[in-house]
Parts: sequence; structure tokens; C-alpha cells
Amino acid sequence: GVTTRASAGDTIRATVNGTVVEAPWTPSSLLDWLRDQAGLTGTKEGCAEGECGSCTIHLDGAAALSCLVPAGRAHEATITTIEGLRGERPLHPLQQSFIDTAAVQCGYCIPGFLMAGAALQAERPSPGAADVDLALSGNLCRCTGYYSIAAALGIRSEP
Amino acid sequence: MTLGRSLPKVDAVDKVTGDAVYAGDLHPEGMLYAKVVFTDQVHARITHLDTSAAEAVDGVHLVLTAADVPVNEYGLTKFDQPVLIGPHGTGRSRVAHDVSRWDADHLAVVVAETSEIADAAAEAIVAEWQPLPLACDLDAALGDGAPLVHPEDGTNSNVYHHLVARKGDVAAAFAAAAHVIEATYELPHQEHAFLQTEAGLAYVDEQGRVTVETAAQWVHEDQAQVAHALDVDPGDVRIRYRAIGGAFGGKEDMSVQIVLALAATELWKRGIERPVRCVWSREESIVGHHKRHRVRVHTRWAASADGRILGVEADAWLDAGAYNYTSNKVLGNLHLTVAGPYEIDNARIDSRAVYTTSVPGGAFRGFGGPQGTFVAECQINKLAEACGLDPVEVRRRNVFREGSIGITGTEMPPGVSIPEVVDACAAEAGWDQPRPAPVPISVFASLSPSSDRVRRGRGFACTYKNVGFSFGFPERSEATVVLHGPTGGVDDDAPESAELFLSGADVGQGAHTAFVQLASEATGLPVERIATTFSDTATSGDSGSASASRLSWMTGNALLGAVEEAEKAWRDGDRPATGVFRFVPPPTEPLDPEGRPSVPNFAYGYVAEAVDLSVDVETGHIVVHEVVCAVDVGRVINPSLAVGQAEGGVVQAHGYVLCEHLRTAEGRILNPRLSGYLIPGIGDVPERVRAVLLEIPDPRGPWGVRGMAEMPFMPYAPAVIAAVHDATGVWFDTFPLTPDRVRAGLRAAGVDR
Repeated sequence: GVTTRASAGDTIRATVNGTVVEAPWTPSSLLDWLRDQAGLTGTKEGCAEGECGSCTIHLDGAAALSCLVPAGRAHEATITTIEGLRGERPLHPLQQSFIDTAAVQCGYCIPGFLMAGAALQAERPSPGAADVDLALSGNLCRCTGYYSIAAALGIRSEP
Repeated sequence: MTLGRSLPKVDAVDKVTGDAVYAGDLHPEGMLYAKVVFTDQVHARITHLDTSAAEAVDGVHLVLTAADVPVNEYGLTKFDQPVLIGPHGTGRSRVAHDVSRWDADHLAVVVAETSEIADAAAEAIVAEWQPLPLACDLDAALGDGAPLVHPEDGTNSNVYHHLVARKGDVAAAFAAAAHVIEATYELPHQEHAFLQTEAGLAYVDEQGRVTVETAAQWVHEDQAQVAHALDVDPGDVRIRYRAIGGAFGGKEDMSVQIVLALAATELWKRGIERPVRCVWSREESIVGHHKRHRVRVHTRWAASADGRILGVEADAWLDAGAYNYTSNKVLGNLHLTVAGPYEIDNARIDSRAVYTTSVPGGAFRGFGGPQGTFVAECQINKLAEACGLDPVEVRRRNVFREGSIGITGTEMPPGVSIPEVVDACAAEAGWDQPRPAPVPISVFASLSPSSDRVRRGRGFACTYKNVGFSFGFPERSEATVVLHGPTGGVDDDAPESAELFLSGADVGQGAHTAFVQLASEATGLPVERIATTFSDTATSGDSGSASASRLSWMTGNALLGAVEEAEKAWRDGDRPATGVFRFVPPPTEPLDPEGRPSVPNFAYGYVAEAVDLSVDVETGHIVVHEVVCAVDVGRVINPSLAVGQAEGGVVQAHGYVLCEHLRTAEGRILNPRLSGYLIPGIGDVPERVRAVLLEIPDPRGPWGVRGMAEMPFMPYAPAVIAAVHDATGVWFDTFPLTPDRVRAGLRAAGVDR
């Protein structure tokens, strides 16, 4: 379960993308804290109710919907956002795959898909179609129809 | 060369790294927050407005009301909507500013230090309202004594736009008919559900121009509308687009542009030189922008025994909602498509746009074409059944050919390819092969897969869609190309690089990538040598809207002209050499009020789709196995992007026909969230979409290119309806085909297990 680890007046100290970030606690979601306090706007708000997945991040190693997590939960946590996914590489291999399969149209949902997809790959390096459907079932895209996104994760529908 | 290559999108790296900047990501130093306060009144006259308590909230800088709007009216094709609703105005709007006609009409704009303060101040605004009678749907708005939504129009009806088609002798056609197919179709709203909600940042720039950085579809139209409402010269307004998180027609009209420009101007006048940002929540977005129109069509088709369409009668009513938006234009495309891509000698078609006190309808991928296509394709599929003909064969006997006379009585533009598109789709779908056997499907985790309650069917549909602005709208597109030689080079050097200045919006479809590829083709320079400046009124001429599947077609032609001009300047010795070109396509005409012949469009795209699906007749669930989408793109610019438009268009239509259900009551949307309005997720989509890109050149298109972004959406819904009929024997004349509706429809028709 999600627990709040800091409250009003506290400073939240979190490791975000490998760097220690200290910023005031806010009575908001972790999404808003990341965007407004940590200045990391790559993570997007699409619905603010956990339906669209655009705000997906890695929280202590697991994919999480940052719009549903209270900001205080970040205290002493390790967070990776889309800005940190590639680490020291030019691109994370999945980022390159999304480019190669033309999975990016408007791009607004893409940070969420990449974070959810990378979490799946960390768990299952060669996921099957059912794994991909399940792992990405909480992410909405209105542009692509999902086929190019599934292809980026190695799933291609055969005629 | 460069055309036909699947180059990565020019913005792909920024979009996978999170570096792409959308308007809502902008957060400059000192930024203020704007809240747009909606009236929350479906139809009411405001009698009192008091913002003093809101203004007194600590941290509030500004509360703007109708009295602050110089010219309090806007609208893309008709100035019928106030910017802000209030009891006091400047007296300079045609539409009454003291009446709310939609619960998302704007009452005030609050500007504050934080969004929380702005929200709190919005709550402190006091408004008093005198309710006005409602007319929330077509029946109410068309009934005797219906309240008039726009009495300022000076008519006694809510029907405010009426198009007619009159051809031949309809009575004789029906008298001679072996088959008459008659039905009434009711089509639902659809919400765009672009992932990025409306957002913008406004400030007065160093040149004194009020500037709005936002996400929409046509920078110059935004500029013109802001300038009109603020009563300033368009040159004093600058519009710039940041990354755009989807649009689909839903960002074609104003959302935050005018109110943000007004707020930035008022702040500046008061000596507060701080930028102001507004980002709509998902609920504000769904409540606050137009939808794909609700439509009702009653139609009768007469046909010969061998399946030749003899005559068409149709009465169409478009629920425009409270404001026109682009309804008068959407109506035109409905009107053109409601009789299908078929040669019809005898026709009487009356199409009407109707004001109601409900959410406005407006632009959405296909722009009236999906609704007209639904009607036409259901009709011809029913005709095939009545004649005992194959659905593909009945189309072969009726579709347009080169030189055919269209529904408006004039010759179709050159390059009619629907016969080839229909044949290609049928061939790719294996239409002449036996229908595949049912496969076990499991619609609930609690039900084991079974095929004994599953029936499988196939459906076919096709259509056509104009490319570019229609009906006499002054279509044009400007491009600027600058050719550079090598530094320190000599006069006879060839250009080494180019710069493009274009305003066409990349809403995600890949327009900017296509522009670079088109420019590369025109200049012979590799794409890496082409620098770009896009979507900014300060740097580009007017390229027109990202709509009507027009950008590649229009911009490609404009680029060809600009490159020719630049090369001429180069030969004359200019270094760098600049070419500026304004492309104007063949003219079009408004429809004639009496239905006499007119030329509505200068180019069309053509598409056909075949759908293979299974229906669980016990539960009403539908699983789509395969969709073949054959679309004539004329010439492929970028195969990956074109396939992306086909797949994405099909899946948007999959939501439209199967699961998206915008519920309204008394003029209000009941499910304005993504948890209540369900768009397809990855597990909901067809198992396969096979895009077949045909390259039959459009003689007027650049390198033969046709527009294609809307077309894949259009035939899908009627193809699904036909496949459900093929599987079950039951026709559905309305949708979405949610399981409860399918099950009820099957039971009503006597279909059990």
C-alpha cells in the first residue's frame, strides 16, 4: 500500500534520476510535485484520476501512476522519470525502439508508455503479447491504435 | 529520393526523452495562473455578477468579465459566441453577451499567484441567473414553440443552415425501383479525447505583441480571432505552437487563446509584466470543447433489380449544439457523403444544422464525412442484401469513375480511384474466399473460451473525402524557402542547405516530417541539410489549418512554388536566395441554394475497408479479428507515418462504433472523465489492422500526393455494422454497439444462442 512519509512543513528528499532532490512537501500528487517542485515536466498529466497512464514513473523500482500517489510518498524514495530513463546512454533501447517502429505521434502519452514498457522489460526481457497487453492496459493512446507501440516491445500481429 | 522513405519523425527523439515542450510544460519565472470560470448554466440570462469578493482574495491580480472584452464575440465561421458571458458589455457584439447557452460558456477569467488561489477566487464569484427554456436535442429544438437558441439571427427557427441537392426526377426513380431501402439512422456524439488537454501561456513580448504559446490547429486563424476580440491589428498578436498532444479537429476552435491574450494584455496595462498560463483539467476539456456531431438521417434509396442505385432521398439533421463552431461546414461534408461515392442521377437531399442548448458539435476527423458515410454504406449494404448481390459487387456497379458527375451535379475532380480502391481492399481481404470459421473467444475472464455462442461475419464499406477547404472558402497556403550556399563559396555553387518557414501545425500526424521530406524532394537536398521554423505567426505566412487532410497536399504544392522561386533567385545571384510562394488551388463554390450544379471541392481521397469479426450472441460482445484498410494516398511520403494514420484512424473509429458513449442529460455531459467515457485501450483494439497504401496519383497533388489522415476513420463504423449483420442477420441503425445494446438488439430480432 501507499503510505505518506512526509507532511506539511517537511522537506521531501528523494533520489530522482540518480540525483538527490530536496523540495518542500506539497499537499498534491507526486505528479504535481515532480512537475512543479522538481521541475521535471517530461511526466504528463492526462486525466489526474489514474485512467490514462501518461504520468507513469518508476517508484522504488516499480511502475506507478504518479497522479494517484501523494507527494509525501517520495520522501526517501528512489524515482525514475522519463528524463532519467536513458541513464548515461544516448537513449534507452526501448526509446530507440519507439522511434524505429514509429510509435510516436503526438507524443503526449509516450513517457508513460515508455516507463510502463521499461518496467515490463525489466521483469520479462522477452514479453509475450498477453504480457504487453496487461502491462500497458493502464495507458491510453489516441493516435496510434497501439500496434506500433506493441511492435516496439517486440509484438507484431501476423496476418 | 526522399519520398517513400520511413524516416523517423523530426520530433521523435524529443518526444521519447521527455524533452519535447508542450504548452502546459512552460513555467517561466514569475508566471501567474489563469482559471477560466465556466457559467455552469445550460441556458440562462445573467442578471447580476459580483466579482468583488474574488478580487479581494489575497494573491488575485485580475478578474476579467464580459465588460473587459472589447469585441465580445468569436467563432471560426460565424461570430455567434461571446468570449465571456456577463450583464455588462461594450455593446460591440452581435450575439447577446448576457445569455449562457452552454454550461461551458466562459463567465470570467481569474489570474492569481497560484492555481489554488485562482480556484478559490473562482468560487467567490457571485452570479445570479434567470433560467431560460431548454431545447437540448433535435426533437426539442425542432418542435413547435421551441425556444430559440440564437434569436439574434432573426429567424423563427433553430434551423440556421440548410443545404439542398436536387438532381433528375426522384419520383420517377422510385416509381421504377425494384428495391426501396428506407431507414432512419441516429448517430452519437464522439469526444476527441486527445491526451493533452487545452493549455497555453500568454505574455506581451519585447516587440509589444500579445503572444500566446499554445496547441491548436491554425496559428493564423487563432491570431485573427484573438485580434478581432481584442480589437487590435493582427500584427499585434503573435501565436506560436509548442508540441501539440493530439487535436483531431478538437483544437480547431478557440479554447484558452482569446482569454489568455486578454489576461496578458490587461496585466501589461496594469504594469504587471508577468506571463500567465492556463491548463485545463480533463473534466474542463471534455465539458469545454465541441464534439463530433449527433446526427439523425432519414433516407430512402431506390434501386433496380440488378443493384443499380436509381435515386436517393435524404433528410439530415445535425445537432449543432449551442454554437456553430464549424457546423455549417461539417454539414456540407455530411451532405456530400450521405449518398456515398456513387453515381446517382436522381436525388433530393436536404441537410440542416440545428441549434440546441447542448454541447456544440464541430470538427472531428472526417468532418461530417463519417456520419454521411455511415448512412450511405449501411444503405448500400442493405441494398446488396435485398438484391442478393455481394457487397463488393454492388459497389462495382455504382461507384464513381473518372468523369463521373458527383452529387452536386458537376464532374468529379480528376483522379477518381474508388474502383481500384474497392478492388484492392477486396483482394487483400480475401473477399472471394469462404468466410473464416468461428474461433473460441472469451469476453470475460470468468467465462471459458467458447465458440458455440460465437458467430463470425465480414463487412465492407468505402467512401470518399475532400482534401482541402470546400464550398468557396478561399483556400491557400504560403511557404518560404531560403537556399544557402557554402560559406565563402563562389557564385556557381549549388545550394548546400535550405531553411523552411511554414506555419502548418504538427498535431502528431507527422506533418513537419512530411514537410521536410517534401522540401528535400523539391530541392534535391538531403533532409539533414534542411533547417525548419514552424508554426509561428511571427516567422511564417499562412499555411492554413491542420484539417481536411490538406496539409501535405497544400504545403507540398506551396513548397514546389517556393523552391522554384528560390532557385530562380539563386540563378539571379542572390545569396542566400529566398523564395516566397502562395499556392492557390482550383477554386470551389458554395452549394447553390436551389441545388443547381456547383463545384464543391478540388480534390478527393478514396478509401475502403473490410472487417472480420466475431459476435458473442450470448453476451453481445464483439471481437474484431482483422481490418483491411485500403487507402489511396496518391504517393507515399513516409510509409510509417501513413500506416500510423491508417491504424490510428481505424482504432478511433473502433471506439466510435463499439465503446465510446458520451452521455448527456438536460444539455450537460454526464461522463466528462476518461473513467466514464471509455476510449479503446491496448486490449480492446482489433487483433490486426492491415493498411494497404495505394499510389494512384492525384493529378493536382504534389508528386501525385493525396490527403489521407481522415479517410481511414470513415468507413469503419458501417463496415462493422455490416459484419455484425453478416454474423447475426440483424441490422443496427444506431451505435455505439456496447454489449448491452447488441444483446438487446439480437434478442429483439429473435436471435438467441
